[in-house]
Amino acid sequence: MLTEKETIISARGLKKCFGNGDNRQVIFENLDLDIYRGDFTIIMGSSGAGKSTLMYSLSGMDRPTAGTVCFAGKEITRCSDDRLAVFRREHCGFVFQQIYLLEKMSLMDNVLTAGALVKGSRKELIRRAKELFELVNIPEYTQKKFSSQVSGGEAQRAGIVRAVINKPTVVFADEPTGALNSGNSAAVLNVFTKLHNEGQSIIMVTHDKRTALRGNRVLYIRDGQIFGECDLGRYEAESHEREAKLNTFLTGMGW
Amino acid sequence: MKRIGTQVLHNLKKDKGSLVSFGLIVLFTAFMLNLALVLAFQVEAAYDARFLELNTASMNVYIPEEQAGDALYAKLGGLEGVRRLEARQAVYAEAVIRDFRGTDFDMNTVFYDLADERSLNLPDVYETAAETKEPSILLPMYVANFGEFPVGGEIVYQVNGNEYTFTVAGAAEEMQYGNYGKGMMGAWLSGSAYRSFYEANRESAIVEYSLVLQEGASLTDLQEQVTGLLEQNGVALLAMNDHLSAKETRTMVCDLLILILIAFACIILLVSVFLSKFRISNAIEDEMVSMGVLKAMGYTGNMIIASLVLPYLLVTGACALLGVGLSYALLPALADFLTMQSGFSFTPVFDGRALGCAVLVPLCIVFVFTTGAAGRIRKLQPICAIRGNAGAGHAGRNPLPLENTCFSTGLRLMLKQICACKKQNALLFLVSFVVTILVAFSGTLFYNVVVKPENFLSTLSEENPDIMFFTEAAHQQELCAALERDADVRRALRYTTGNVSIGSSAVTAFVCEDFSLTANELCYLGRDPEKKNEIALGSAFQENYTIGDTITLRQGENSCSYQVVGFIQSVNYQGNVCGLTTGGYEALCGGLSMPSVYVYLKEEVSAGAIIDRYEAQYPQLVIKAVDSQQMLKTTQEMYMSICAVLIAVIFLVTLLIVLFILYIVIKSLLVRRKQELGIYKAMGYTSGQLMLQTAGSFLPVTVAAVLLSALLGIVYMPAIHQAIFSSVGAVRNNMELSIGCLLLFAAALIGMQFLISLCLTLPIRKISAYSLIKE
Repeated sequence: MLTEKETIISARGLKKCFGNGDNRQVIFENLDLDIYRGDFTIIMGSSGAGKSTLMYSLSGMDRPTAGTVCFAGKEITRCSDDRLAVFRREHCGFVFQQIYLLEKMSLMDNVLTAGALVKGSRKELIRRAKELFELVNIPEYTQKKFSSQVSGGEAQRAGIVRAVINKPTVVFADEPTGALNSGNSAAVLNVFTKLHNEGQSIIMVTHDKRTALRGNRVLYIRDGQIFGECDLGRYEAESHEREAKLNTFLTGMGW
Repeated sequence: MKRIGTQVLHNLKKDKGSLVSFGLIVLFTAFMLNLALVLAFQVEAAYDARFLELNTASMNVYIPEEQAGDALYAKLGGLEGVRRLEARQAVYAEAVIRDFRGTDFDMNTVFYDLADERSLNLPDVYETAAETKEPSILLPMYVANFGEFPVGGEIVYQVNGNEYTFTVAGAAEEMQYGNYGKGMMGAWLSGSAYRSFYEANRESAIVEYSLVLQEGASLTDLQEQVTGLLEQNGVALLAMNDHLSAKETRTMVCDLLILILIAFACIILLVSVFLSKFRISNAIEDEMVSMGVLKAMGYTGNMIIASLVLPYLLVTGACALLGVGLSYALLPALADFLTMQSGFSFTPVFDGRALGCAVLVPLCIVFVFTTGAAGRIRKLQPICAIRGNAGAGHAGRNPLPLENTCFSTGLRLMLKQICACKKQNALLFLVSFVVTILVAFSGTLFYNVVVKPENFLSTLSEENPDIMFFTEAAHQQELCAALERDADVRRALRYTTGNVSIGSSAVTAFVCEDFSLTANELCYLGRDPEKKNEIALGSAFQENYTIGDTITLRQGENSCSYQVVGFIQSVNYQGNVCGLTTGGYEALCGGLSMPSVYVYLKEEVSAGAIIDRYEAQYPQLVIKAVDSQQMLKTTQEMYMSICAVLIAVIFLVTLLIVLFILYIVIKSLLVRRKQELGIYKAMGYTSGQLMLQTAGSFLPVTVAAVLLSALLGIVYMPAIHQAIFSSVGAVRNNMELSIGCLLLFAAALIGMQFLISLCLTLPIRKISAYSLIKE
C-alpha cells in the first residue's frame, strides 16, 4: 500500500551566490526540493558542488540569496536571526564534521546546555540525556569528561546526543564521520541508523559511499541543481542489492 | 629586531583595538604624572628664583615705631647670621577690605609708602593703570586677582574704624606675604596717600626690620636671637614673618594638587599594568598554536616574547609621550589657577626630568610586568603548543556541573563562565575595587560639600557665626544684651581674635568667654581652656609642647604664663593659633581694644537684614559688622564648584577606566569565544541571551568588588580624609561617611559597568552559527 509522505521542508526557487561582481559565484539556482518526514536523506556531490551550503540553507543556518524555504509549516527565509535561533532549538539538531563541542564543558553539560533551551522538567531532561548516552554507548563516567579527554568517535556520538536532545524535527549532519577512523565512523553511523529506525528525520551530507548507504533517499547535486535522486529503501546491513543500486546511481551521475 | 619585525607588526595590527585602549590609559597616566612632576620640579624652583629676584628678606620683624631707633637697628644688624638689614616705616593694622569677592575681607595689613626707597622685599609691578586719581594704592597680586579689584577701579579699606577709598594704581607681585593663609598682607600707598594715611593712623605706625640671612645660617637661631634681643630691650614684637612659612603657605594647594595627581596616576598605572599582563596572558593562550609553529620554525622563546611585548612598549612609549605633550596644554591654565591662589606667578616650561619620569616609569613597569607574563613562552614545547595541549587545559574539573545545580539555565551558564575565567575575574575585581575607591572618595566629598556643607566648612574654617559685630570694649555688654533680647537671634557669644607671640612666632589667639558655647569644636586633643590660666595651643606647637606644660605668651611688653590643656586646629593660620578665655587674654593684654560679638541667628533669618537694622538702630555700639553668612555662602559656592569639577573629573576618569578595561576584556573574550558563541547560536541561543549571559558574568565579580570596596570605605575613607586634611592643618575633620551615599554611588558604578558591558557585547549579534562552518 502506497502512503503519501509528509513534506517537512519545502524549498522553492532556491538560489545561493557568494561574492559579487566578477567574483560572483553561483552555487545553485532555481532549485526546488522537498524533504519528507522520517526520511534519512543523503546529499552527495563532488567537492564544491554546494552540498553543505544547500543543507545549511534548508536548515535556516544560512540565508539563501533567493527563493523560499518552508520548514515545518513556517517560512524561515525571512525570519530574523533571533527568531531563527528560537526555531532551531525546537526543530533542528546539528552534527558537524568538526564536532564543535563546548570545550569547557563535560559531555553531559554540552547536552544539557542544548536541552535546557526547551521548556520541560529538568529531571525529564536529565533522564532523556542519560537514555540517549546509553543509546550511543557512552558510559556515565565518560559523560563527565571534557571533549578533549575522549576519542573523536565518543565526542561525535555526544554531539549526536546534543543534536537530538530536544527531539528535533530534522537532524542535519554535515559529514559527521569525515574526521573519524573507520571504527569510530561505524559506531557513529550505527547511532544515526538507530535514530532513523526510531522515526527521526535526518539530512546528511557526505561524499562517502558507505555512509550514503545508511540513507533511504540519496540526492546528487551537480551544476547547481538536484541532478538525480535515488530511493534506496530501508537500510539493511550487508545488503548487496542496495549497494549495487547506489553504485549504478552514482555512476550515472558521473561520480 | 629585524627578524621579529614582521611578528611585531602582525601583533600590532591584530591587537590594535586593545592596544588603543591600553594606550589611552597610559596617556592618562603620563598626562597626570607629567602635570604633577612639572609642578613638583618647577614650582619650588620658580618660587626660590622669584624670591631671590625680588630681594626678599629671610625674615621680617614688626615693632611699634616709637620703640625703633638706630641703636636697635645696629643691634639687629650685629646678630649672628645677618647678612643684610633694612628698616622701613609702615602702618600695621587689622584692616577690612570691603567687597572682596562680594564680602568683607578681614586681614592684618602692612601699608607701605611706595615712594620709600627700598632694596629688599621689592614689589614687582605687573599691571598699572593708564591714569590714576589720588589717593592711590598698589595692591598685592592675591588681593587684586582673587579679590577681583581691577586696576583703575576703587578699593575700600576700613582701618581703625575709618574707611579709606583708594584708586587701584596697579598690581604687584611680592614674595614677602602671599595669600590669605599667611594671616598678613602688604599694600603700597602712593607718597601723598601714605602721608595722610600715616597721620590718621599714628597709633598703628610701625617699623619693619627686614633681615637677610647669611648663607648656611639658621632661620630658627636667628628668630630666637631676635626675640631674645627684643625682650632684653623691652621692645614689643607685633609680628614676625619668615620666608619658610610663607613658602609653605603659598605652595600648600600646589603640594596637595601634586599629591592628588600622583595618587591618580599611580592608580591608573596600576590598572594599565594589570591590563597589559592580562592581555599578554590571553594572547599566549589564543596564539598557542602559532607560537608552537614559530618555535618549530626556529624562533627562540625570547624572540616570541619580544614580538609580544614590543607592541606594548611601543604603545606605552608613544602614548606616554603624547600624554606628556598634552599635559603642556593644560599646564598654563593650572599655573594661572595656582598664581591666583598663591599670589606669585609661575610659567611652566618644558621639563626633561618630568618627561623622563612620566615616560620611563610606565615604560619600565609595563616592561617588567609584560615580560613576566610572557615568561612561560620560554618553556613552551613546540609540539605541545601545536597540539593545543600546552595550555592550562580544563582537564580534571568541571565547575558547577549542570546536572547537579538547581538554578535557571542562563544563571547556571553564567556561573560556569565566571568559574572559567579566573584571570579576567581577578582583573575586573581589581579594577572595580580601585575605581570604587575613587567613586567613594568623590561620593563622600559630594555628601560633605553639597548635602551637608557644614561638615566640610567647619573642618576648614574656625568659628562660623552668622554675623561678627565689632564694638568698643565699653559697649560690648550693652550690645550683647541687645542681641540676647532679639527674637531673631539664637545666641550672642563674646568671641574675639587677637594677636600674641609665642617665642618667635606671631600667633592668632581665639578669645572666648565660654568655648562650650561655640558652634565649631576646634579642639582635637585635650580640652578647651576654661580658666584664665589655661590655654589650648594650635597644631603647629604640638611638636614642642604637651598637655600640662607651661607656656609664656607675650604681647608687646607684657607676658603671661599659661598651662596647656589642649590642642586646637586652624587651617587658615596653619596651626599658628591658640585659644584663651577672655580672662586669660585680659591678663596678658589688659583688655580687648575692639572686641567682637559672634551672632548666631535663627533659621531663615537674613544676616544682611540684621546688620542693616543694628547699624541703623545702634550706630554707637557697632563699629563694623561682617556678614559671615554671606562669606560662608561665597566660600561654600566656591568649594561646591571645585567639588563639582573634581567629582566630574573623577567620574570621567572612572568611566574611561571602566570603559577601556571592559572593552579590552570583552573584546578578547569575544575573540576567544567566537567559536563557542557560534556553537551556542547553532544550538538555538539568541544574541540577547548570549549578551546577557556574557555581561551578566561580570556582575558577581564587580558587585562583590564594588560592595566590598564601598564597605571597606568605612575604614579607609576616614584614613584618606585624615591624611588629606592633616596635611592642611585640620587634624580633626568633621567629614561624615554616609553609608547610603556610598551604596548609592556603588550601585551607580555597578549599573554603569553592566550597561557598558552590555553595549560592548553587541558584536555578539554579528557572530553567526554558520560562521563555524565557513571559517
